[in-house]
This record gives sequence, C-alpha cells and structure tokens, in this order.
Amino acid sequence: MPPVLATLLSATLHGLVGRVVRVEVDVAPGLPGFTIVGLPDAALSEARERVRGALRNAGYRHPPRRITVNLAPAELRKAGASLDLAIALGVLLGSEQMSADIGGVGLVGELGLGGEVRRVPGLLPMAIALRDRGVRRVLVPQEALAEASLAPELEVIGVGSLGDAAACLRRPRARRRAPEPLPRIGVGLGASPAGAVAGADDGLDRVPDLAEVRGQVAARRGLEIALAGGHALLLIGPPGAGKTLLARTIPSLLPDLDDTAALAATVVASVASEAPVTKLQRRPPVRMPHHTVSYAGMVGGGPRLTPGEVTLADQGCLVCDELPEFGRDVLEALRQPLEEGSVAVVRVGRWATFPARFTFVAAMNPCPCGRLGSAAAACTCPPGAPQRYLRRVSGPLRDRIDLWAAMDRVPPELLLRGPAPESSAVVGERIAAARACQLSRNGGVPNGRLGGRALREACGLDGPAVARAVLLSEREGLSGRGTDRLLRVARTIADLAGRPVVGAQDLDEAARFRIPADRFALGLAG
Amino acid sequence: MLGVGRRGPLGRDAGPEAGGGASAAPQALEEHAAWVVLAGARGVGPVTFERLLATFGSAVGVLRAACETGAVPRLVEASAAPDAPPALTAVAAATVVEAAAEPERALAAVRRAGVTVLTQRDESYPRRLRQVELPPPVLFVRGEVAALSPAHAVAVVGTRRPTAIGRATAGRIAEAVGAHGASVVSGLAYGIDAAAHHAAVRRGAPTVAVIGGGHEHLYPAGNRGLATAIVAGGGAVVTEFAPDVAPSRGTFPRRNRIISGLSDATIVVEAGARSGALTTAAWALEQGRALFIVPGRLDDPAVAGSLAFLREAGPEARVVAGIAELVEDLGLEDVGVAWAAAATGDARSAAGLGAAEALVAGALRRGAGSPDELVAATGLPGAAVLAALTTLELRGLVVEVLGRYQPTGRLADCPRRLPRAMGQGAAGMPAV
Ligand SMILES: [Zn+2]
Repeated sequence: MPPVLATLLSATLHGLVGRVVRVEVDVAPGLPGFTIVGLPDAALSEARERVRGALRNAGYRHPPRRITVNLAPAELRKAGASLDLAIALGVLLGSEQMSADIGGVGLVGELGLGGEVRRVPGLLPMAIALRDRGVRRVLVPQEALAEASLAPELEVIGVGSLGDAAACLRRPRARRRAPEPLPRIGVGLGASPAGAVAGADDGLDRVPDLAEVRGQVAARRGLEIALAGGHALLLIGPPGAGKTLLARTIPSLLPDLDDTAALAATVVASVASEAPVTKLQRRPPVRMPHHTVSYAGMVGGGPRLTPGEVTLADQGCLVCDELPEFGRDVLEALRQPLEEGSVAVVRVGRWATFPARFTFVAAMNPCPCGRLGSAAAACTCPPGAPQRYLRRVSGPLRDRIDLWAAMDRVPPELLLRGPAPESSAVVGERIAAARACQLSRNGGVPNGRLGGRALREACGLDGPAVARAVLLSEREGLSGRGTDRLLRVARTIADLAGRPVVGAQDLDEAARFRIPADRFALGLAG
Repeated sequence: MLGVGRRGPLGRDAGPEAGGGASAAPQALEEHAAWVVLAGARGVGPVTFERLLATFGSAVGVLRAACETGAVPRLVEASAAPDAPPALTAVAAATVVEAAAEPERALAAVRRAGVTVLTQRDESYPRRLRQVELPPPVLFVRGEVAALSPAHAVAVVGTRRPTAIGRATAGRIAEAVGAHGASVVSGLAYGIDAAAHHAAVRRGAPTVAVIGGGHEHLYPAGNRGLATAIVAGGGAVVTEFAPDVAPSRGTFPRRNRIISGLSDATIVVEAGARSGALTTAAWALEQGRALFIVPGRLDDPAVAGSLAFLREAGPEARVVAGIAELVEDLGLEDVGVAWAAAATGDARSAAGLGAAEALVAGALRRGAGSPDELVAATGLPGAAVLAALTTLELRGLVVEVLGRYQPTGRLADCPRRLPRAMGQGAAGMPAV
C-alpha cells in the first residue's frame, strides 16, 4: 500500500490571535508509531493519546503503521488541543478509512477519548484566522457553534463527535448550518472565568442606577468625565461614602460597543472563557478584580498565556477598589496598559501582546483608618501613616490618573434635602454623545489618550482660555504633564457640554479634579 | 429711571446718562433741566429749593417767575415760610434771576463735566438720602449711580492727619465691611478717608466718595487718582454742588451730611478735638443712623474729639471693640450672603464675580462646605458649582481641604466661627 499524505487546515491560538496550522499526516508502512513534529507543546503531544483513544472508541481502527504528523509552519510554536480533530481525520484519510474532499475546510476541536469533539478556548479568533486564510467552511464543536458563528462571512458546521465530523465531510451539504445573524443587543457581560464581574442583569450582581447615588456630586461628575473621555479616575473617601456603589453603576453608564469593538471584546471573552461564548459582546466589559489578585491574574500569563484582568477589561472599564491594598507589583503592572493601551505577557520563551484599552476607575480610603478629611470624625492614624498610605500608589501610576475626586459620607439631611440625582439614562446619553464627538474629532483616539500638540489642537483654546490655563497651571505649580492632564479633562468637559472649543469654565471645572498633593499643600498653607 | 410718572406728565424714557444730558428732548427735559439750573444757583439750598417749589409748583415755574420783572423781592418772599423768615437773601435771589436768564450756562457746565445728574424726581436717587430731612434736590455723580444705593453702606471717616495705626485701622474696617458686602462711603479727604477708600478699592468692594465741591474742582487734587480708581472699580464720586462750584469752608459740613445720609452706619476712626468727622458723626445721629467710634488712649490728641463725642453722645454712640465685633454689631454677618447672592449686577462686576460664583460664595458663607452642600444650597448644577469654586479659589476667597471648602480672605467668616473640617483634619494632612 503506497503511503498517503493527508493535508488539513486547523488553527491554534497565539495570545488573542488565531494562527492557521497546516496539519500533514503521513501514514506509512513500517514499525507502528505516532510522531508529531513542528514545535508542539505538552498538551499537543498528548494529542497522540487522545486521537488514538478517539479513533478506537468511535469505531475506527488505529492503523498499526508509522504515523507522522507535521505541523506547519514549523517555526510557529503550537499549543493546546485545537488540532486534535484535524489530526484524527488526517489519520483516517491517510489510512484510507475514509475519503472526502477537504479542500477549503477548516477543522478545530479537541477530542475526548470517547470520540466526542470538545470546545477549546479562543475558538472565535481561530475561526476568524481560518476565514482570513480563505477557508470557507469550518467544522467546530457542536457546543461552540454559536461562538464560531460570530465570525462574519464563514460557514460554520457543528459536530458532536469524530464520527459526526467524518460523516459531515463525506456529505458536506447535509449538516451545513447557516451562520446566525449577529445579535444586535447583548445584555450582560458574556461568560468569563472566575473573577468578580459586575454583571448586567444576573440578579445577584444587579447594576444600580446612578439615581440611587444621592449627593456625591463631585464624584458622580468625575465618573461621568472619566467614562466619557477614557480618563483614569481615583475616588478617595472614607468607608461608607459610597465609592463601591458608585463604581457598580458603571455598566449602566457605558454606551454599547460598535461592531469592531464588540467583535474584539468577544474575541477576548472567547479566549478567556472556559465555557462557550454565545453571543456578540455588545456591552463593554466591566472588571472588578479583588485586591488579592495575582500578577498573572491582573496582567495575564499562565501555561496558556491567558489574558488577565487588564485585557478582559479591554474596551470597557477596570475597577480597582481599595487600590493601595493591591500588590505592589500588580499596581506597577498597571502602568504599561495605562500608558500604551496594551500589555506584554511573557512566559518562558513565549510572549504575547494583549490589548488593554480600558477606563481605569480606582477607589481608596484617604488613610488607613479612613477618616482623614471627613466632616464627621477625626483621623486616628499615627503621624505619617496617611502619607505612607498614599505613597503606595506610586508616582508613575499617580501621573496616569487624570481625575481625583474626594468623597465623604453624605449627611442624612442632605440625603433628603439634596436635589434629585440624575439617572444613568440621562448621564449615559451625555457620555455616549461626548464619546462619539471626540472620537470623530480626534481620529478615533479618546481624549484620555491625547497629549502634546494633538491635545492642544483638539482644545482650540482662545486667548482668554489660554490665559486661564496658564494661570491655573502656575497656581497649581503644574508640570507639563499636569497641564496636559488639565487640558485633557477640560476637553472632555467641553465635549459633555457640546462645546466645540474649550473655555475658561471647562478649565475651571477640570481644575477641581487635580491631584491632591497640591490640595494638601494648600490646606496646610491655608 | 423709567418711572414716567416721576418725570412729570410728559415723561420720557431715559437711562442714567440722559439725566445729565441737557440736550435731550427740550419739552420733557424742561423740568429736569430747571431743577439743575435752580439747584445750581448759589445760595439755593434744600430749604430754599423746597419753599420755592412749593410756591411756584415746579422748578420751571420758579425760573419763569424769575424772568419776570420784580422777581427778586417775589423770590425772597416766596422763600419764607409761615413761621420762618425768608431763606433767600436778595443777593441770592439775584443769582437765581441771573441763572434763570441764562439756563444754558449751568447746563453747559454739567455737560462739560460729563456727570450724571440725579434729581429727587429720579427713581435712582439714593434711597437712604431720600429718607433724611431735606435731602439735596440734585446730585452730580461720576461713576455708577447704582453704587449710591447698595444693599448695605457704611461710612468710614476721620481725621486728615491720622496716626499710622489709625490709617491701618481705617483700612482694616473698610476691608472687613467690604468683605461682608457693604459699600464703603467716605469723603475723599486725605488721611482716614483716603485709607478707607484705598482699602475698599484694593479689595474690589464698591466705594463712594462724597466731595465737598463741584466736579470741576475735585478736592483735594492729590486724591484725583484715587477718585479715578473709585470710579473704575464700580464705585462713584458724588456731590450736591454743581460742577463749577469751588469747595469752601461752608461746603464741607454740608458734604458730611450726605456721607452719613448715604450710609446705614458711620464709623469714626480717629478724630481730633475739632475734626470735621465729628460733624459727620453728629449728622449720623441726627439722621437716625448708627454711629460707631473707635476709642483710643487717654490724652492721645488723635482721638480727643472721638472720646469727647462718646462721652457726650451717650448710649447712641457705640464703641468699636474689634473688627469681628464691629461686623457683628453692624449686622453684616449674613450680608456677605446678600452681597454675594442678591447683589446687583454692578456690585457683582465690581467684585468680579459671575452669578454662579456669587451664589456659591453666599452658600460658603452660610457654612456649606462640600460640593453636595453647595449644590443643595444654590440649586446650581454640580459642574457649575465646581467651576465656580475654582474661580473663587483663584481670587483667594476659598481654600480646599480634601474636598471640603472654606471661605477665606474677604469671604472669611468672623474668626470666632471655627472652620468645619479644618479643626481636626489639618494635623494629619498628608503631603504626598
Ligand atoms: Zn486616618
């Protein structure tokens, strides 16, 4: 019997990107054996056992010959079990237990020993990669049919078992599934691995409306500006001031993602999730990791180079309550994503760059006892303790925070007397309008990422406004960076008001959200 | 100024500047112009003016009568009251005749001086002055007419040759009352007057100078720059004398009655034994206004007149026991609010504050400290409150400590009220 070479297309995951892999299976006479070459990792090497078991239990023979599986391109390091299905079918074709036209077909799935086809994380980016390579039809695990169908312009077929897949390839038309239309509205934040998620409507994690937050006008406004312009916000206030409640309203304030952003967010979910993703993630993610989160949990890593919280929050919001309680290395690691909108994840010999374009919202107590600056109670911290507490948030990280808002417990009489707070719907509408307007003006860059000349051009300050900006900068002793921060925030404030150029009143308001180092100095001087 | 009725049956719409413009519609202007001509005639004081007006029905009537033959004795006769001799001498009556023959001369002088003329018939005539006995029929004003009728007005007067301490005290008092929203009234003289005006101008509070002669003879000449600064700062320089009247020994006491008459209270800082400030003090009591006197050391000639006055005036004259105490005694503690919140546009622009800043400043003075409290107190949107706080901070009127705000500078409360958050927070304030 002449040797037969079967060539199939599959894909593996590299970071958040699918990479197409050509699976060549050579079944030749000789001493029985099963070799996989082409930089496989441990999980992939175990594919031999899974394929062997699956073939037997699905009623096929495991040919007693020399089986060589070559994964191309050779220089690409391949990981995971996504190639199982292609390898098994390659063995069937190579040993002539079946014949089929596999031109233009992609195969992605992990095999169980019983022959069942299982979902692998990152199915969506893999399907997208295959489509981009010209593949028209992809066989995927039945349980992840909906997920793979989110890849536009691709025919996706769900298979439950190896036998299913073989049958399907023999009679390709029979099991074809038309891709479902993209759902326009996705409520909820999609499936995600362990880690607290402020879910949209899953009962326990009910999202409060901004109207439930009484008072706190400065903090509310700070949050509005932060979400509108993508600025980092730090809320400082004693326990019970409502920092957490305010942060939990964020999902109700963010506008829906556009098609591109929604697909990007769904890809992240697809990679990170152990369960199948069922719909396009229209709602921006809001991640609230606990302060005990590990470095890898925050940044990403692990054996599979899994994205961390900063990437899971991409296109959305990362909320860090009790900021100084986070590990020092974890806080340091936030710098790169805040500066560059991405994060590099390295793990022995492998690395990936993950997107991390999130709006950063953090909260902290003003001092260890939490009472500093409160109208109702006196701080009981030993001398110097509040300073040390604040310094845990390091200088470089502080520099990236555009908005600082002090909160205090709202006195009961004000809870009753104060004006009715605006609802999430009202504020959310302003945020959406301000976002749309800045993105079109700045060429897709949010105000929070503007700097230098582009920032000054976007502000369009006239004479009096320039004078005001200079006055405020001098008064606050602002560095160039501090002045940029002031202008960025003022730009967003003007966008929220629909003003094409930044005026003095926008600068005045922006100045209220300055870094408190200056306030303390002023307070002591006054 | 828009009161048609007060302008007589013909009425006219006129802004304040038209009051002095003798060149407006002649028919309607006549009575107004006649007032200017008649009041401007030498020897015609408020008493004479009132009696002549009563006899002839109107100033036009008086001038018409003055143009007839045998006018002098008729005018003298008319200036008498049933129980009083004529107020007008024959010489003065002749001056009226002269003025009536050539009304354009007086009107031209007014035009030349570029001043606003307010008659008692005008609604913008200062309301406090209207309440005193025999107010001047006509006032000549340089600057803001509205500054003559502020919500609160305090006169600060004293000697022309004060001690350094007296000068400083006058400044501190003017600053404090200005900070609490009252306008400072004085006489533009050297010494205490000038110190009070200066302090008010420096702090951006409106101030009014009452001069003892016509505008063409501004006295003392050395305070000409100060007068300009007062006008530029939204205040006013005012006199009852026609522009071409030179100041003389007799004009100053008359001026003093206007100083006290324009004010709710008069404060005498330093007055020697024969200081003119004592006549202002006497006028204040006469007019039923409050009077405060800054006491001094025994045997100090700078306060000899003050102490003597205190001894004689009895309980009506009160003592200045301290700046904060004075502010409290003046009832100005909450005036800062009124000034800030309800000030007229003029007063606000004099203080350099917009409407939102004024509201926020008022709420801060009432004790609101957090942005939430300020929003509740002012009804302004949060964004407007935050922006206003920065403006106030830049003007040195407010300081922030960890998200709470306190008035400072001239917006500060009297020192006895402790700031709310400072007391306990300041000690452990981290400086990052
Ligand atoms: Zn403390």
